[in-house]
Amino acid sequence: MITHPVPAIRTYVLVWVGLIVLLLLTLGSAFIPLGWGNAAINLAIAVAKSLLVIFFYMHLRSAHYVLRIAATAGFFWLAILLGLSLTDFVTRY
Amino acid sequence: MTEAVVVDRQFDDPLQQRKASDLGMWVFLATEILFLGAMFVAYTASRIHHPEAFAIASRLTNLTLGSINTGVLLTSSLMMALSVRSTKLGLRTASIVFLLATAVLGLAFLGIKFTEYYLDWRDHLVPVIDFAHRGPHAGEIETFFYLYFFMTGVHSIHLFIGIVMVLVLAWMAWRRHYSPDYFTPVELGGLYWHLVDIVWIFLYPLLYLVSRT
Amino acid sequence: MSTLMLPVRGNYLDEGFSLWSWLSSVDHKRIAILYTISITMFFFVGGVAASLIRLNLVTPTGDFVSAETYNKLFTMHGVIMVWFFLIPSIPSTLGNFLVPLMIGARDMAFPRLNLASWYLYIGGGLFTVGALIAGGVDTGWTFYTPYSTMFSNTHVIAAAAGVFIVGFSSILTGINFIVTIHKMRAPGMTWFRLPLFIWSMYATAIIFVLATPVLAMTLFLLAIERFAGVGVFDPALGGDPLLFQHLFWFYSHPAVYVMILPAMGVASEIITCFARKNVFAYRSMAFAVLAIAVIGFLVWGHHMFVAGTSVYSSIVFSILSFLVAIPSAIKVFNWTATLYKGSIHFEAPMLYLLGFVGLFTVGGMTGLFLASLALDVHLHDTYFVIAHFHYIMVGGSVMAFLGAIHFWWPKITGRMYSDRWARFAAIVVFIGFNLTFFPQFVLGYLGMPRRYHEYPPEFQVLNVLSSAGASVLAVGYLLPLLYLLWSLKYGPRATANPWGATGLEWQTSSPPPVDNFASIPIVTAPPYQYEPPEGPHPNPSAGQKGEGSEGAVGARDGLS
Repeated sequence: MITHPVPAIRTYVLVWVGLIVLLLLTLGSAFIPLGWGNAAINLAIAVAKSLLVIFFYMHLRSAHYVLRIAATAGFFWLAILLGLSLTDFVTRY
Repeated sequence: MTEAVVVDRQFDDPLQQRKASDLGMWVFLATEILFLGAMFVAYTASRIHHPEAFAIASRLTNLTLGSINTGVLLTSSLMMALSVRSTKLGLRTASIVFLLATAVLGLAFLGIKFTEYYLDWRDHLVPVIDFAHRGPHAGEIETFFYLYFFMTGVHSIHLFIGIVMVLVLAWMAWRRHYSPDYFTPVELGGLYWHLVDIVWIFLYPLLYLVSRT
Repeated sequence: MSTLMLPVRGNYLDEGFSLWSWLSSVDHKRIAILYTISITMFFFVGGVAASLIRLNLVTPTGDFVSAETYNKLFTMHGVIMVWFFLIPSIPSTLGNFLVPLMIGARDMAFPRLNLASWYLYIGGGLFTVGALIAGGVDTGWTFYTPYSTMFSNTHVIAAAAGVFIVGFSSILTGINFIVTIHKMRAPGMTWFRLPLFIWSMYATAIIFVLATPVLAMTLFLLAIERFAGVGVFDPALGGDPLLFQHLFWFYSHPAVYVMILPAMGVASEIITCFARKNVFAYRSMAFAVLAIAVIGFLVWGHHMFVAGTSVYSSIVFSILSFLVAIPSAIKVFNWTATLYKGSIHFEAPMLYLLGFVGLFTVGGMTGLFLASLALDVHLHDTYFVIAHFHYIMVGGSVMAFLGAIHFWWPKITGRMYSDRWARFAAIVVFIGFNLTFFPQFVLGYLGMPRRYHEYPPEFQVLNVLSSAGASVLAVGYLLPLLYLLWSLKYGPRATANPWGATGLEWQTSSPPPVDNFASIPIVTAPPYQYEPPEGPHPNPSAGQKGEGSEGAVGARDGLS
């Protein structure tokens, strides 16, 4: 039988607490008028939550580098699609 | 111990098989990111073209139910992660319990989501079928709600697939298919579940929190 | 020699002769054959549409078909040739066959997924053919909105559904290739010992998995918008038609590299073999392939210079488009340098690939015309564009596909074809191709727009030349079909390595056994061993790799 090093339950629960705190933060910040800052905070918090899930729940923190590259490639290519099409959408008028 | 690990003929050993499955799943997740990402690009372009309409429309969504649902889904991810951990350690009962908890929370999410859909329908906010919003930007608000239903609908389909998958995993775990030597399906199922969760993590602020001030 | 060393198990062709033994096989070699038969059928369906188009354009008044039929014909030609022939062509046939053989594996990482991808291909094909039989589609292969969502009265949703499904076939193939190349390599097969064909398959697979899902989502949005009358593309609904074009070309421009990168891989294998000289600057070739795959994702906006995108965006995309010429040029220079002072043999595969290098260069250089902002205003949507991309796709991809089929035919079928006929066909294809498409450069530059079923009478001479060339080309494509099929029954048996090529696939018998190798080879050297390590004296056995593996090493007869 192979034994696998696994993170402690505590780690998983702490990450969950972090996720819920971030959820409350993003919800609360939405009611403070900050103009475009609201959207920026919302997105930053969404990214932070995703990173928590990816690194801890999806174990990318300890994963082989090829798996990290595969995960990064997905998001990176999405950034290409979004970024280069934005060169058009935000400068058209 | 359970039955011996079966290695397909193309592989040399179980480790190679497991690594191949892991990479295959992550590459598949990368395609999912691009597949679902394309609808986020469509959302972004529409929002850039119609910022005021999106602000008005977002205020018409049900923030309470949406926020509760986000919490439900984040908790389901915790359950999923714990079930993967239990499987790796060979804790069969715990693994089954956590898998069932994941599925129940997933179903709860869908239940809340469809309650929301019902409330939207009652408020005449369903494009094509019954959309009665009047006033400035009515057309663009309809576009927002089209995106809202489309994106949450696509997400719900993914979640539904995930629930079926988790239930199958629980059944297989009950049949003693998994052990510390062989847990790849549970691990990969977990990856899929978490990705669907991440999609919602982005949907939540983009649909519910555009402008609440 | 090779007969003494036949492996214990029979070859993959003898594993079963019933139809079901083929339709249920998860052997990558059999799936490759299934794909070869299917894409050949689609190629001839698309070819018939092309022939009817050229027939109609013989006269300036469009006497042969009506304008509506003409629109449906060029849509059918485009949809079938792009998604059902060119994109799966080399990856799904030769890629499927060769990837495990070249890296020293028994099969793909996910054989059942591989078979599933063929069934998805057939399913998508049936959908699309059904749409075409039921009355056709007239949007052009690009499905541009709002025409496709609001105005077209044809079977857009069914055709889009077919393309949607076939996209998942590409994705599954791509996942399989990436995992196989990462995780299934034989001992000692390091990344820089991979044949360049494998590098090109890897780059292609990256495009498959990262671009295709965007097309799937785009077609999904399109189908809903057409069906429900609400959406994000139609300006009448508050949408943005350029959003469709951005999403569409994010897939469809890299898709062009799906067509050309495998061809480049084939060129690297065949040119080095028939020049009896190691490929020049191996590493730069490998990196150039990856660079083309990545930069190919950054250039899609050059399809939309005159569509109303912002000037700033056009400038960005124009600069990025020029960048892709750099790795492409590296490849052409390196093939040329490989030929330099080589001992060149003009067998049929080499003739096809020499044609490929020339035609690809013309196609690539004219692409730079279209990447320049000012010139594109003049050339956009003219026959210049048609000629440009046919030089890449037909002169490049199809020539390389035919060359590859000829090169690996003995390995795939265990039979030799008539080299005399094959060389004749290669020359007929080359002449027919140039006669068909070179006049279209001139037509386009003079201002003849694409997708019209009539044209001013002064363009007739060039159009007749082009149509005449199309008939020559048709003969050139039918010839290989005949003599290759003939060789299946009457061709002499092929040895394990008829071309004296290096590479693992030539070290196993022809056709290969079910699990490819009697025992998994151990790799100790780079893929190309056409020159002795030092000194000019050619010694065929010098540095041959995998010598530790018993049984599977074939005779190095033939050219050397």
